[in-house]
Order: sequence, then C-alpha cells, then structure tokens
Amino acid sequence: MMSATHANQAPQDTHDTQASHDAPELRHLALGFADPVADAQAAFRCALQALAHPGEMLVCPVPPQRVPGLMPATAALLLALTDHETPVWWSAPEALRWLQFHTGAPAAAQPGEATFAVLALGQPAPPLPVFPAGSDASPERSATLLIELPSLLDGSPVVWSGPGLREPRTLRLAGLPDDFWTRWRDNQARFPSGVDVLFVCGNQLVGLPRTTAVSAERTV
Amino acid sequence: MTTAPPPAEAGAAHALRRDWLAVLARADLDALESGLHQAAPNLRYDFLRRPERGMVMLRGRVGGSGDAFNLGEATVTRCTVRLGDGQVGTGHVLGRDRRKAELVAVLDALMQEPVYRVQLEADLIGPLREHQRAARERDAVAAGTSRVEFFTMVRGT
Repeated sequence: MMSATHANQAPQDTHDTQASHDAPELRHLALGFADPVADAQAAFRCALQALAHPGEMLVCPVPPQRVPGLMPATAALLLALTDHETPVWWSAPEALRWLQFHTGAPAAAQPGEATFAVLALGQPAPPLPVFPAGSDASPERSATLLIELPSLLDGSPVVWSGPGLREPRTLRLAGLPDDFWTRWRDNQARFPSGVDVLFVCGNQLVGLPRTTAVSAERTV
Repeated sequence: MTTAPPPAEAGAAHALRRDWLAVLARADLDALESGLHQAAPNLRYDFLRRPERGMVMLRGRVGGSGDAFNLGEATVTRCTVRLGDGQVGTGHVLGRDRRKAELVAVLDALMQEPVYRVQLEADLIGPLREHQRAARERDAVAAGTSRVEFFTMVRGT
C-alpha cells in the first residue's frame, strides 16, 4: 500500500496520479520550461535583478508554449517562484490548472491569503491594501504582485526614486488604475511592511519594490 | 476522449490501466527499451513533466488488517509525456532511474491508443506479466519451505 506524501522538488499533487480523469485537460496543457532547472534559475535571476534595480526593463526567459490567459513573462515567473507552499491569487483562473500541474501551487481563496497574486491583463484588480503586507517583525510574509500591463512605455509619466536608483527615473507604465500611485504611496510608507510588484508586458518585466518612492513628474 | 465515459466503464478502464502500469513499473529497463523500440521506433513526444525524483511514504497494516502505519519512505521517479496527437502517459517507478520512468510514461500513453494496445499487450505487457507472476510464485514456493505453523497440542481428554 502506498500513498504519496510530500516529495522533494515534486510537490504533492493529486491531479496527475488520476490522469485518466483529467486526460482531456492534460491533452492541451501548455508545456513548462524546456530546461526546468536552468530556465527557472534564469527567470529567478531576472526577478531578483528587477527588484534590485527598480524601473529597469528586463527580458525574461519564457516557456516554449503560450499559456492561455497569461503573458509569457508571467508564466515564467510563476514557474520559477511558486511551489506547494505559495498560495496564488488569480484575478482570472484560466491558467490555474496549468500552474497546479507544473508547480503544485494552490489557489488562494482570498487576496489576503496570497503569497503571489496574478493580476491578468484586462481583469479588474482589487486595491493594493487587500494583499498581505507582512508585519514589522516578519516583513517577508507579504505578497508579490504580478501585474500585467498593455504597455510599459506609453502611459503617463511618473518619477521613481529610492534604493537601487542612482538617479530618479521617469517611467511610463500604461493601464494602471487611476488611484494606483496614491495607494502605492501608502504602501511605500509602511516600510518594512508592504507588497512588492513585478509589472509584466509580453516577455518584459519591471520591478517595483516596496522601497521605491513614486511621485508625479516634475517639470524642470 | 473529450467526453468522460460513464462511471462503470471509467472504473474498468482505470483498473486496466493500473494493471499495465504496475506491470511496466516492475519490468526491467532493457525489456522496456526493446518493447518500445519494437512497437514504435522514432516516436516523438513532449515532456509535460520531465523525469524527477521524489519520495513516497510506504504504509502498511499489521497482519494486513490492523491500523495503518508508516513503514518508511521510498525513492520514486515520475514522468509525464504527451504524444503528438495529445495522448498523455504517466509513469511512476521505484528508484532513481529517470529513463525507466520516461519509458513507462511513453508506453502508458501508447497503451491508451487502440492502434498500439493489442500489439503491445501481446508482445510486451502479457509476457512481462506472466514472467513477473512466475517469479512471484517461485519466491512464494521458496519461502514456503521455511514456513513454521504454530499450534497447541490438545491436552487432557
């Protein structure tokens, strides 16, 4: 008699052991990384780089097939960052099964339970304060938001400054809710608590860590 | 395959699949290699999940009917592949042999294809099953010679 318990890099996953039940789903499931270890490391490195250098535009290595409902870089970050201990909150659950097969990451029922949140393009997103911000004692218990945008280049300009930015930098992210930067000011003021954001467009990403201050553009 | 078969039929298909997966998982690597080579040389497939090693907890019951207890962990390798037509196969094998897990997964996918199933059953699965059954029987006979029956003599009248 055998029953599967936790496995090493193979998280507990009841789905693929019952493949005959969900075979129709698996027939069309998008593939994961072509080289799981090296590609996940490269994507992880990309996320680190993005959060260490706020505002820098980076190109992320992406999986070979498009995942319905996700931009390629979002898919790559999820493959690299999630496992069975990181609940993911989805604004649209289209890619839920895909992620559960590949990394075993459970779905968070509420935004407040999420370790990662996927705010897919064109889906209404809850405001920042509903996601866990950690506490002063455990600031790492906060959520990282993956926010998909229609463009990283042609929105209205705002100025980013703070750790990792030698000079203030002007960014033009498009498609954010009107009150996003007001909410961000509150988030930034909560340091060391607060959420971190990775903005995604296609296979590009830009990091916005909780330490970055954002203000309206100053005309010189 | 896009509509689920009725429950009874699904249960029977499940039992069949469990049987061939058990046979494949116990087979040795060479038998699987040659079996696949004969049935479908140059088969192309994608990895949904590349072979990866993990552990499962083996559980047992005292006397086969007592409370379940954890016997210990065993190393297991698993793999999931998808053929060009979308058929998905999965393999779980004891031990760390990645290639074996891959071959079991590919053969599992082929066994779900009616065009391959009959031939594979006749050439590979059937003989393997018979071979494994004979080996188990031999072991049972060998172990049986050292069996001790405990009984108590009737005392008094």
